[in-house]
Amino acid sequence: MAKKKQLKAKIWDEAPGYDYIAEIDLPEMRSWFLDGTHSIPPLTPLYGYQWVRFCGHGLKFACTELSIPTCRGWELRFLRGGIYCAFHIVRDKKEIAQREVRFRQALRPWLEDFEGLWSGYRQELLGIYAKLRELDVDNATNLQLHHHNYDLMQAYMRMWEIHFVGMYASYNAWLLLEAMTKERFGLSDQDPQFQDMVRGFDNKIYQMDKKMWQFGQLAIRMGLEDVFKKNKPQSILGKLQQSAKGKEWFKQLMDYMETDDVGGWRMRRSTDLNEPYWLEDPGTPIGLVKDNVMRGLSYNLEATRAEMAKKREAAIADFLKKVPAGEKELFQGLIRLSGKASSYSEEHDLYCELMVQALMRRGYLAMGRRLAEKGAIDKPDDIFMLNPDEIDRVIMVPEGHDMRWLTRRRRAAWKEWHKKPNPAVLTERASPEKAVKLDLLPSGDAVAIKTIIGEMPQPMPKLKADLRGICGCAGEVEGKARVVVRYEDLKKVKAGEILVCPGINPAWTPVFGLVNGVITDTGGTLSHAAIIGREYGLPTIVNTQKGTAKLKSGQRVKMDATNGAVYIVNKQTGKG
Amino acid sequence: MAAGKLIYGFEELGQEHKKLVGKKCANLGEMTRMGLAVPPGFAISIALYRKFARATGILEEISRQVNKLGQLKGRNIAVFDELSQKIRGIIEGKEMPPEISKAIASYYEGLSKKVGATDVAVSLRSAGTASRPGMFESYLNIIGIEDVLDKIKKVWSSAYTARAIAFRINKGVPVMGDELGIAVAKMVNARSSGISFTVDPLTGDTSRVIIDANWGLGVGVVSGTGSVDKFVVDKETLKIVKTSIGKKTKQVIARKRGVGWGEVPVKKQKVPCLSNQEIVAVAKLAILLEEHLGQPQDIEWAIDADSPPTKNISPLQTRPAKVAAQRKESVTDRMLDLMVDKFYRP
Repeated sequence: MAKKKQLKAKIWDEAPGYDYIAEIDLPEMRSWFLDGTHSIPPLTPLYGYQWVRFCGHGLKFACTELSIPTCRGWELRFLRGGIYCAFHIVRDKKEIAQREVRFRQALRPWLEDFEGLWSGYRQELLGIYAKLRELDVDNATNLQLHHHNYDLMQAYMRMWEIHFVGMYASYNAWLLLEAMTKERFGLSDQDPQFQDMVRGFDNKIYQMDKKMWQFGQLAIRMGLEDVFKKNKPQSILGKLQQSAKGKEWFKQLMDYMETDDVGGWRMRRSTDLNEPYWLEDPGTPIGLVKDNVMRGLSYNLEATRAEMAKKREAAIADFLKKVPAGEKELFQGLIRLSGKASSYSEEHDLYCELMVQALMRRGYLAMGRRLAEKGAIDKPDDIFMLNPDEIDRVIMVPEGHDMRWLTRRRRAAWKEWHKKPNPAVLTERASPEKAVKLDLLPSGDAVAIKTIIGEMPQPMPKLKADLRGICGCAGEVEGKARVVVRYEDLKKVKAGEILVCPGINPAWTPVFGLVNGVITDTGGTLSHAAIIGREYGLPTIVNTQKGTAKLKSGQRVKMDATNGAVYIVNKQTGKG
Repeated sequence: MAAGKLIYGFEELGQEHKKLVGKKCANLGEMTRMGLAVPPGFAISIALYRKFARATGILEEISRQVNKLGQLKGRNIAVFDELSQKIRGIIEGKEMPPEISKAIASYYEGLSKKVGATDVAVSLRSAGTASRPGMFESYLNIIGIEDVLDKIKKVWSSAYTARAIAFRINKGVPVMGDELGIAVAKMVNARSSGISFTVDPLTGDTSRVIIDANWGLGVGVVSGTGSVDKFVVDKETLKIVKTSIGKKTKQVIARKRGVGWGEVPVKKQKVPCLSNQEIVAVAKLAILLEEHLGQPQDIEWAIDADSPPTKNISPLQTRPAKVAAQRKESVTDRMLDLMVDKFYRP
């Protein structure tokens, strides 16, 4: 068998050791599931390599540390810019029971003090990032950059370990509350009443949004309203530099970005390295400020938020009235914990992916500049077409190498990957449904089921909907669709439109203040889109599978988010 | 209560008389007062047992047996077995003092007259002041005063089964610490019987009534052997939210004297032993008792084949429900139990 494998195996390419090789990987794991949330658009080779290695490690770390009874960890593979996942499922009942004992021990501290543990880990991460920031990458020696490559990977690996321990803990809590409210009170986490109970918490995402709102208010009060209103985000900065007031305002923004614990060390997009972070391109935060300036002085974000918190307390009190006395303590505890879980889900991206990746981008771009200067690659961002081992090979003596044969080939391939989507499931089972049933669901893995794969909507032909998904945040709304597949196209989104996109991460929050509804192709009730939708009180439908394919920009659509139903209005009026 | 009175009709009793006649009798009295279809009967007070004990001198004899053995805690169960046999022999071997047997006989005759029978068939159930579910003995379908008197002694002596002795010793209760009252009630001609919980004993869910039922007498359900019918009724809507019909091959039925296991005719094995109306009526009874007594209840009841459909549900006993999930554990423990149970048990 081993000999046969050896004969058939092809040579690794972008992600050595982790490239998907059907002949080897299919018989070993039977089924592989596309992580749709993080695979569209296709990942660059550098980022894809980091993801399959270290995100995969983080998942194994968490499944081991928390001793998830039915899952030993995930296996990740890289294929055409996409991430495929398979699960090391524990099927032996005896072993499950043994893992259960440790699971209880390991999860207990999280249930008792979620906030305390997360804050400790957050501090650890901030410490790691501070150390990375100490390196002046532009003036570093080649040797220092060589070491920096390893430091970045080390940081990225640790980030994923912490990320998933927190995530498994928070999801277990959330899922339990959902299961209990559903079983006892027929209330699912898609119900508005449920969602009202777990939103409106103060967390870092909100604090940063608030800061952008305050900078908007400040701009108006400093008489800069027109600069923001009349210019596009990219040209606002230049205009600001033309006046003393404008310079003063911008200095304050930069102060915040440099001194806040997250501040400008925040990627625009949480997956991949090929888009700038805030400090690198202040155009992103300035765009957010612009949105707030457009809303005017009367817009009061804090009041909206306070309202939401009040509504939450009322919803909890209302719900607890239904809970019998003997169960009150349990449900109170679960609701409190789920609130923490929800907050963690929102803000962990900032401290985890968005920050470490800003530092990775900074470091790798510096290496890219070093290689480009010596002609080893065409331009600095070609570095994203190499993997860390290849960088390791050339960074000490860049002038001795020409890597363009590789970066050009990889860039062409990467562009090619954009044209054809990856299949959702690769399996040797009879059908994708069988694959899900046999090779995914038995993992009992909350993260996989709730975010990556997502639940499928219950068929409800009576609704006669054009598109169905899962309710992320309840509500009804009608508006013009705006299909956005790439982050760059986000700037086309206009106030009042309905955002239709493949999936969402917290970096997209700015437009949540602008749009009236959100429809995504992927994700479950705990996906970013759903969580952020709830925070903004926007009707949100997730996991429609084909929203971006079926809906066109400019089409009028009606969302009945409560039922996960989307109607194309144009089509209907056309018929009538 | 009149001083010196040692036997009481159920209608004379209420919750406040637990110390006087034991919990079971007091609750039967309370339910009778509530106007429920409790089978008529009377309660033999704990004071009557004491009177019997004094008159026959059994206490000294029992003490002697116990003291002979010295330190009992941690002793082998065989020691308790032997002690039990000796003590039960002492109690059951005593002649009932005439004054006592006369008093009991007059109540038994009164009950017979009340129900229009010469010798009414009765059940005798133990009634202690502390909760000892299932620990003491009950006797069903007892007919005639001779047999009643004999079984009264047997119920009293059941305070000294090896299990009961061992339990008290382990809990630090004096060996002679359980004294029993007895509920003597007319036997119900039970078509079906069962138990209902106003709280799910496994999960602590208090929004539903959980009902287990079988054909025949309730012992068949309480003993937990064989499959039964299970129903769950939502307290608020009174809807039957869950039904599971067990294949009921055996039932407990009345013999000429006493009771025993019998076959359920094949035709009836997979048929629900309660109609939907009866299920709801049983649930209503349970809710009523929970509300009246102010805490979740565990109720034993029977469907009386001799009574009209609207009045045919007879409560035979009620007591505070014991819930597994209510054992003293933290919310964290419950969350962990629930997570493991719901997510990781394939």
